[in-house]
Amino acid sequence: MSKDSQMRAAINQKLIEMGERERLKELLRAKLVECGWKDQLKAHCKDVIREKGLEHVTVEDLVTEVTPKGRALVPDSVKKELLQRIRAFLA
Amino acid sequence: MSPAGCSHVNGYKVENWKQNLRVIYQCFVWSGTAETRRRKAKSCICHMCGAHLNRLHSCLYCVFFGCFTKKHIHEHAKSKRHNLAIDLLYGGIYCFVCQDYIYDKDMEQIAKEEQRKAWKFAVPNLLTYTTWEPTKRELELLRHNPKRRKITTNCTIGLRGLINLGNTCFMNCIVQALTHTPLLRDFFLSDRHKCEMQSNSCLVCEMSQLFQEFYSGHRSPHIPFRLLHLVWTHARHLAGYEQQDAHEFLIAALDVLHRHWDDNGKKANNPNHCNCIIDQIFTGGLQSDVTCQVCHGVSTTIDPFWDISLDLPGSSTPFWPLSPGGDGSTVNGESHMTGPTTLTDCLRRFTRPEHLGSSAKIKCGGCHSYQESTKQLTMKKLPIVACFHLKRFEHSAKLRRKITTYVSFPLELDMTPFMASSKESRMNGQYQQTVDILNNDNKYSLFAVVNHQGTLESGHYTSFIRQHKDQWFKCDDAIITKASIKDVLDSEGYLLFYHKQFLEYE
Repeated sequence: MSKDSQMRAAINQKLIEMGERERLKELLRAKLVECGWKDQLKAHCKDVIREKGLEHVTVEDLVTEVTPKGRALVPDSVKKELLQRIRAFLA
Repeated sequence: MSPAGCSHVNGYKVENWKQNLRVIYQCFVWSGTAETRRRKAKSCICHMCGAHLNRLHSCLYCVFFGCFTKKHIHEHAKSKRHNLAIDLLYGGIYCFVCQDYIYDKDMEQIAKEEQRKAWKFAVPNLLTYTTWEPTKRELELLRHNPKRRKITTNCTIGLRGLINLGNTCFMNCIVQALTHTPLLRDFFLSDRHKCEMQSNSCLVCEMSQLFQEFYSGHRSPHIPFRLLHLVWTHARHLAGYEQQDAHEFLIAALDVLHRHWDDNGKKANNPNHCNCIIDQIFTGGLQSDVTCQVCHGVSTTIDPFWDISLDLPGSSTPFWPLSPGGDGSTVNGESHMTGPTTLTDCLRRFTRPEHLGSSAKIKCGGCHSYQESTKQLTMKKLPIVACFHLKRFEHSAKLRRKITTYVSFPLELDMTPFMASSKESRMNGQYQQTVDILNNDNKYSLFAVVNHQGTLESGHYTSFIRQHKDQWFKCDDAIITKASIKDVLDSEGYLLFYHKQFLEYE
């Protein structure tokens, strides 16, 4: 494992141990609902399901189709805030 | 994708499977305790590549963690013929034969329970959002009661007259205001009150019953005899058939509701930190700053309040000028100011700095002696519902009379200038933004007005209440009529109820 991924693993471990990861997840969840991201993605998911047909679509299809859009649509302010929180936690 | 789950789980559902599954959820998916978190942090990495990202899954048949994205768990499933895995991020069960996530009822049940359990530990006081699903009993109730009510823009659900039981208009108008307080209505209609009182004299239960009556769809006026009886029992000073003060009734009602909230004594220890719906909606914090004129030290106290009582011009205490030694020459306590007095004028007077005078010296902590001081009131915390009481009834030693000065009040009110925080920024020299459109915290909308007609000896209370954002109705005991916004704003105004426009999450 590279130095980078080692550090990532170490940070992740600390976040989980202190329960901070769960808190950050909840914070992120709330922020994404507030800014309308959840609704946007929900609509996109519905479109994909309609396209592929309800009987044939799998979770994998949705993940492949929706992930890139989901990543792109996260507002910068939310990214900034989460980053600040993590920095503060590690300090 | 079948909602009934797949048949491949049957191979898993043997022996002690439920307990095993629970352990997996507790240890690796939703780790609640510090110990399980530590274990999760250490062990949740892919057995093939060591990564902790990439949608880690755990095999349900043996101890193996593998990435989903890199297909490591897929390889394991194929080689060992272990066809079930669980997603460690969200707890979903994946079947490699069906090649999709499956939703088995028993497994879903376990997942839900474990998630709720873990949440109690990890993030206390945070209510997670779960989608509502009806229970069997609720489905039964819905089937047996097929009538449904649709709320259209012109429907009058929630409006109902109240019979006057003998000068009880003071109670009726307050009931109208309370039953049209949106948050209170939502609380009671969601059946959130679980009564712990033994006797039948719980006012909160009666309030709940009142909401049922108001939203039942019955158009005949309601006879609130039980409410009246309970009020007489719990607020003796309001008993009797004479006309009482609506404001006094409001305070007494809020007080009894607040007291009855948890009669098991849970809040007996700290009555100021109650979490009842009354406190959540009506309680604000009033900050009182006493400044010593010698050392300029400030002593601050914050007191809870349910309403703001405002002095009016025309009373024995002079109204103008608003600031001590300020502008506007005064004649008989009135000033040359043009236009009617506004609610904002009254609020500015309420929050003005006041010289306490040489006969009312305060012991100063800084000077260690009695000094003259100024006192100023500001709002520290605004309640969700702000009730303004215009002090129209004067009961001084000299006379008892009603002050009928017209006070104009707005439909929308911004409380920012009266906040403690605004005063601080003014004192620090920061100029207040004149129109801060982005700050929505202190904006309020009028939703109920209680009016008194007549004199101190014989008078009558009526109320205006707001329905569907822009429709107003006049409630005169049993008679409800449509009113215009002009009718409301032209009325004299005795009790003004404002509701916060934007509600924030805690």
